[in-house]
Amino acid sequence: MCKAMEVKICLIGMGNVGKSFLKLLKEKGDNFRINFNFVCKLVAIFEHDGALINNDGIDLDNLLDDNAKMRNNQYWIPKVKAQDLISTLDIDICIETTPTNPNTGEPALSHIIEALRNNIDVISSNKAPFYLQYGKIKNLAENMDRLVKFEATVASCVPVISIKESLSGNTISRIRAILNGTTNYVLSRMATEGISFSVALKEAQELGYAETDPTLDISGYDTAGKLVILSNELLGWSKSIEDVKIKGITKITPHALELAKLDDYVIKHLAIAEDNKLVVEPRLVKKDSPLNIQGTLNIIELQTKFAGSLILMGKGAGGFEAAAAILNDLISIVKKR
Amino acid sequence: MIYLEVKLPDIPGSLIELIKPISQNGGNIHGILHHHDKKINNTIPVDIWFELSEELIEISLENIKKDLIKNNIQLVKISVDSKNKILTFILTGHVFDSDITDTIKRFDSKNIKVLELHAKFTEVDEISSVLMKVEFPEVMTKFELTNEIEKICKEKNLFLIRS
Repeated sequence: MCKAMEVKICLIGMGNVGKSFLKLLKEKGDNFRINFNFVCKLVAIFEHDGALINNDGIDLDNLLDDNAKMRNNQYWIPKVKAQDLISTLDIDICIETTPTNPNTGEPALSHIIEALRNNIDVISSNKAPFYLQYGKIKNLAENMDRLVKFEATVASCVPVISIKESLSGNTISRIRAILNGTTNYVLSRMATEGISFSVALKEAQELGYAETDPTLDISGYDTAGKLVILSNELLGWSKSIEDVKIKGITKITPHALELAKLDDYVIKHLAIAEDNKLVVEPRLVKKDSPLNIQGTLNIIELQTKFAGSLILMGKGAGGFEAAAAILNDLISIVKKR
Repeated sequence: MIYLEVKLPDIPGSLIELIKPISQNGGNIHGILHHHDKKINNTIPVDIWFELSEELIEISLENIKKDLIKNNIQLVKISVDSKNKILTFILTGHVFDSDITDTIKRFDSKNIKVLELHAKFTEVDEISSVLMKVEFPEVMTKFELTNEIEKICKEKNLFLIRS
């Protein structure tokens, strides 16, 4: 076998997803060499208050368990920002996982654009840049002949974006999906236990399934963003989040769920892309429908011309789940380079 | 059930051009009738009836129509059996306070017939929910029906959950 290719990467943002990615990278490094004949060299980690940069490669041992160790490392440069330094780095792939403003997409959007402008392929787990500026990012990537991957933005490591390549010879006519674990958990609990929305939400928060401020989830905004990404990527549309008709789940009552049962229905918070329209709203779904999933799972149904209905289901959130999606994107980029 | 009337060129292979788009778009064909006795200008009227999944009926029919036109098949008539034109939905809010009789009458004025109605409430003037099953006219699409319901919901501040 020929010498393994060296792929130089940088990571922006070392939160839950970033750390999980590094752990998986460490764990699967040998696997990359054996199965795909490449090795990853991590040359930079950017945090909000500085960066760890070493062109010879950052040693991950002892770094992952303690943030202080990173800041005490000899290669730590305080107070520098990724956006200012990306152009100076000799890297092949930029992995972007910073906490991002859902309304502006920043700072992830700027990081992505800066990397692409500097001939660097990009992988991101941040959805906001893609539901806000999908066209701009894709056009820039195309103009620069770079690859931009974002599997983790929708349903984490459920391969709903990368399935596009497998369906190149087919036509997808409709997408129906449940893309938010919080809302599905709340509606599932309301239906099975007959409890109110507020009680079910409190329970979800106590179990860590819902954020302290769950507004983005229960309003449908989070789901709408993911639906925009799916429709643009899988259906070839050019939509933004403003194009989505969004209804949340706050008005669902135990009475409504009881009535639904009378006719063998359940209420699910669906994301639907059909007839050039995007809708996120609670819908009646037949009890025996594959969309009647419980708990925090995500599900995506792709109606295709030749294969009929294709179903993808799995865990839609979590650090390692997103990290696994990033690793898949990484392998996919390396295979194409 | 969907009834489709077309004019097929009387040449070998034209029947397959009719059947393919129907089966490729999920149609389950129940019957085909050739009217050879009514052949005009080398075209034969053909009746075909098939089933489509209720939830995909509009999108599949549209695709079938497009594909048939692409195959140079002349469409004469398409009709959808009324058993497919049923929608179940739930209205939540002050359903009774906002005059449910008026709501039903307004559906009726658009030929939308309420087949079933189930209600859940604690007090008539509190938030309540009703489940309705309606039959809507053949000429009306599900999208148009939903628009009619949503118009009323907006006016009466009701929340719609539809199938």
